[in-house]
Amino acid sequence: MFLTLASAALAALSLLQQIDTTVTARTGQRLVVDAYGGEIEVKAWGRNAVRVEADPGARTSVEVSSSSGAVSVRTEGRRGPPSSVDFTITVPAWMGLDLSGVYTDVKIAGVRAPITVETVQGEVDVDGGEGAVSLRSVQGSVALRGAKGRIDVHSVNEDVRVSDASGEITAETVNGEVVLERVDATTLDAGTVNGDVGYDGPIRNGGRYSLSSHNGDVTLAVAENASATVTVSTFSGEFESDFPVPLRETRKGRRFSFSLGTGSAQVSLESFQGTVRLVRPGHLSRNDDDHDKDQDHDADRHDR
Amino acid sequence: MSDQWTDRLSEYLDDELPPDERSALEQHLRHCAACGAVLADLKRIVTRARGLEDRPPERDLWPGIAARIGAGSGETQAIDLAAARRRWSFSLPQLIAAVIALMAASGGAAWLLHPAAQSSVAVRDTIPTTPVVAGGNLSARNAGDRSRIAGQSYAAAVADLERVLTQGRGRLDTTTVRVIERNLATIDSAIAQARRALAADSANVYLNSHLAETMQRKLDLLRQAAALVSSVS
Repeated sequence: MFLTLASAALAALSLLQQIDTTVTARTGQRLVVDAYGGEIEVKAWGRNAVRVEADPGARTSVEVSSSSGAVSVRTEGRRGPPSSVDFTITVPAWMGLDLSGVYTDVKIAGVRAPITVETVQGEVDVDGGEGAVSLRSVQGSVALRGAKGRIDVHSVNEDVRVSDASGEITAETVNGEVVLERVDATTLDAGTVNGDVGYDGPIRNGGRYSLSSHNGDVTLAVAENASATVTVSTFSGEFESDFPVPLRETRKGRRFSFSLGTGSAQVSLESFQGTVRLVRPGHLSRNDDDHDKDQDHDADRHDR
Repeated sequence: MSDQWTDRLSEYLDDELPPDERSALEQHLRHCAACGAVLADLKRIVTRARGLEDRPPERDLWPGIAARIGAGSGETQAIDLAAARRRWSFSLPQLIAAVIALMAASGGAAWLLHPAAQSSVAVRDTIPTTPVVAGGNLSARNAGDRSRIAGQSYAAAVADLERVLTQGRGRLDTTTVRVIERNLATIDSAIAQARRALAADSANVYLNSHLAETMQRKLDLLRQAAALVSSVS
């Protein structure tokens, strides 16, 4: 009898701690989530409403509020810092997102609006995003798929990957790879200190593409009909190409330029001590697999 | 790499060439990969410099994070946040000068120091608007002075941010501190390698540019770390 009562009481308490709130979403509102730890998963649906589901536990409260500009979700520790909370939040696809956390993984799918994500120790995985898309993690990897617009993706200690995206793109890390596949960039700045950098996508007339690494390889996929002025720079690295390139002149140091087609786009490929490589489209991954990773690079990373 | 058009590229970029010269230069650019590459370099410098202008702080999500960590703790503030923020913002024009001066210090990039080029958008948009050193007029100084002053400014900016990180490291998660320090060490190693390479080939445009960009990465990471520290104070 006692056990039955205790179980019923625990179940009731658990129900009390679970959050499942739905608020109306109005045009112009953004979703703002300010978390501490756990996971924020955001999905899109066809309703003009925001549904927040979470199980914060006894030590943490979750506040959901709505103003003219935002639907806000915040965690608050009842005594000290909040505990980790996993959120599942469903929003209209048009709703912009501002998500932040400390020990927080972020996963987003289906949103067709501007997205900002900042976390310290957490992975960021986004499918979608339109307009200004800014994703940052210090210790986690950042992956973005299917975004359009002004894209800014940063990590410090892990990889950055962008695929099936288009627009003006900046992708950077310090210790990690930067890989852009099936990406249609009009301008691109992709760089790392310790890792490989690769881009596989159209090179647009008049576009500007800059890929750089200090220790890693830099690989660019170039279609046969590409029109670009390509400048390759290295200090102690190598240059390789899967196809003949019309080298006409060599500049001081290990730096040279050549034109493809009418040379419309400007392409800068730099690696201080890695290999700069040109491949045909679709062969970026093959090169990633074929070439040994920098052992020091791997040793320096994954410190989480 | 130098030809009759090289010194006109910054005027071209500024849209200051007469129509006939502009047309002739565009014709030249179709056939001269070297000038095309220099133009691309110049565009990149301009883009980079514009990106470094004394922009307002990015929308700051960290205070919200800070509230979750330290709100109501009542602990003594060990860091002069106002001073830290003031110095942080001051470091941006310092950085701009460092980037420009490092580029300019290259003999291979002498076009940046050409009288006509001194009015280029890269220089005009950055140095004169915010004097880096009180009482100093960078545009009137020679390249050596610029490089030296910018180097000092860079070192001071790095020292300021490192001080913020050192004083505030106790507020950050130890793993985060370790990761930041390890990545700073990675960047420092790259900077040292670039400096050694540059010592043997001081006119190398790529090495100058690479060093400047790697130094900027260090500042970016320090700034990010300082922002984390500030947010949890």
